[in-house]
Amino acid sequence: MSTTAPEAVAGARKNLAGLLVVPATLFVAIGLIGPLAILFRYSLNKFVPGQFMVDGLVIENYVKFFTDTYYLNVLVRTVRVAVICTLACLIMGFPLAYVLARTQSRFKNLLVIAVVLPLFVGNAVRAAGWMTAFGSKGALNASLMAMGLIDQPLEIMFTENAVLIGIVAVNLPFMVLSLQSVIEGIPRQVEEAAFSLGAAPGAMFRRVLWPLALPGVLAGTILTFILAMNAYATPVLLGGPKFQMMGPLVYGQFAQQNNWPFGGAISFILMTATILLTAVAHLIVQGRYRNR
Amino acid sequence: MSFASHPDDAIRLADVRKQFGDTAALAGVSLKAKPGSFVVLLGPSGCGKSTLLRVLAGLEQATSGTIELSGRDVSRLPPAQRGISMVFQSYALFPHLSVAENIVFGLKARGVPAADRAARLKDAAALVGLGHLLERRPSQLSGGQQQRVALARAIVAQAPICLMDEPLSNLDAKLRNEMRREIRALQQRLKLTMVYVTHDQAEAMSMADQVVLMRDGHVEQDASPAELYARPATRFAATFIGTPPMSLVRLTAGEGGAVLEGAPGHVLAPAQAAGQWLGVRPEEIVLSDAEGLPAGIAGAEFLGGETVLSCVIGTGTQVLQVRVPGLCALPVGTPVRLRLPQTLHLFDDATGRRIEDFPSNLASPFSSKDNATCR
Ligand SMILES: Nc1ncnc2c1ncn2[C@@H]1O[C@H](COP(=O)(O)OP(=O)(O)O)[C@@H](O)[C@H]1O
Ligand SMILES: [Mg+2]
Repeated sequence: MSTTAPEAVAGARKNLAGLLVVPATLFVAIGLIGPLAILFRYSLNKFVPGQFMVDGLVIENYVKFFTDTYYLNVLVRTVRVAVICTLACLIMGFPLAYVLARTQSRFKNLLVIAVVLPLFVGNAVRAAGWMTAFGSKGALNASLMAMGLIDQPLEIMFTENAVLIGIVAVNLPFMVLSLQSVIEGIPRQVEEAAFSLGAAPGAMFRRVLWPLALPGVLAGTILTFILAMNAYATPVLLGGPKFQMMGPLVYGQFAQQNNWPFGGAISFILMTATILLTAVAHLIVQGRYRNR
Repeated sequence: MSFASHPDDAIRLADVRKQFGDTAALAGVSLKAKPGSFVVLLGPSGCGKSTLLRVLAGLEQATSGTIELSGRDVSRLPPAQRGISMVFQSYALFPHLSVAENIVFGLKARGVPAADRAARLKDAAALVGLGHLLERRPSQLSGGQQQRVALARAIVAQAPICLMDEPLSNLDAKLRNEMRREIRALQQRLKLTMVYVTHDQAEAMSMADQVVLMRDGHVEQDASPAELYARPATRFAATFIGTPPMSLVRLTAGEGGAVLEGAPGHVLAPAQAAGQWLGVRPEEIVLSDAEGLPAGIAGAEFLGGETVLSCVIGTGTQVLQVRVPGLCALPVGTPVRLRLPQTLHLFDDATGRRIEDFPSNLASPFSSKDNATCR
């Protein structure tokens, strides 16, 4: 038999594979890259009040952002919230993911569903629910005051803490699922080998479990960090009008101020900050992992 | 049973039980092992070998019973404090560490100084022939090489007791034979007390000083390979050991004593043995032209150096296996005569236990010297 037949099959396979990725590629091109390119172009335009947008090629929108402490504070606050939320998700999510990955329980599937369950309730619906529960006239304060335990309502809503808790609640399932799938692939015997070789639980975690779970840690932190950086509903509903983050800021410029060039500039700053911080964290973790 | 502490035993288990919900994985295991001995835990799959090993290692907490290692009660101690090392069936190497880092993992965990670590790494790697592969990752090694890394990682700890759970089951037959000899040599050289789990009776017989045959969570027989072969304590032990294992046939009452169904003229045991089971090792039966139990060939299995014949006794249905040297291509139905050996084994029908006071002179009623030749 000649050798051309298998090659032809392989060629056909390649063509088919090429065809199969076309829809996704088109979707990404039309849905993401196109608008981004247009947005970037807009961010270099001039904004003249009353005239909406004037064609130009200026960096004044970016300059405006980085010279105004108000906007810089929003950026810093957004990064701070995202970092704290991501760390909180990691610290709370790891034990949960470990238990989920290692459990022999018959109810494992139910447990996984329980972890994902919060995602069935949209951010806005959840935040609205919290407003009714934790607002100054909400159920919690009303009952505490009725019992005479407090005179003034507790300020839970419209604080940074409320936003932090809200975002962690939304992002935790993503972290847990990312970690769980990776931990499930780590054989239990590897941990047992570490114990039998004399490692204490802490040393086992540091030298075996953590490095082997690192791909899941990276995936989970990247996912939750991006989600937190771009959070919209939670900061708006739980943070209130005075608590500004980048997501609501972008929306405000487009929808309320009609300042598309500045909105575009903020979008690009947010995107660049997210990508840069993710990449830097990635490099640091990988570097430490290599040197050990 | 009294189990006083004897410092001269390396391992001492007293009535160890392990319950997993409703299943008793270990139903009261007691055993002892001398320092430097090679103990094999043998038994069919699911009989509790791995559970026993894990309980010994401290990876599993016994439900009850005491475990003494080197004269010290370790029943409540974590694995790290038991003075054991372990080799897992799946090797359980650390995939993110190099071979060298895998081997010294335990030394680092125990705070051995770096200079000492390097020296011991070199020794251990040389001992298992890994010196040139130290910088590789486990995924870049063959199965046999991974096995050696697991061995080196275990022996470098210099723990007095080494536990191995079916360490060779993932290797091909040729490599397995080679590794058996290496492990045995290593164990003797380092004077380790070894507890080695396998379900392969040939492996157990060839390696062990002491075989602990297990069944359904209890010890069926605890003896040297020679003893296990020569005097199996139960029917189960009899049919688990040997290639092929011992044939068991039921004795019935006949004229002048116990006989086999279908061969009434051949008294094999005293009359009171009727109803019990007779065990004969296939390699001890000799084909005869003239005398012996009448039988017919029911099948032949050629194994290379020898042939295993299945022979139906007389006009009955019971089968004795016969192992004869070389190729023996007798067609099915060929009548043959079987000369039984001096050493027959008798087992109680109800309890399955060996009947000890079996008069062996009765067992060999055939004295002819002529050996049949197999054509
Ligand atoms: N973690 C566990 N949970 C429940 N049952 C188990 C567990 N480990 C072992 N068993 C049961 O205990 C018995 C003995 O298992 P094991 O020690 O692995 O046998 P072996 O190694 O001899 O094949 C089996 O019936 C097995 O199903
Ligand atoms: Mg097993």
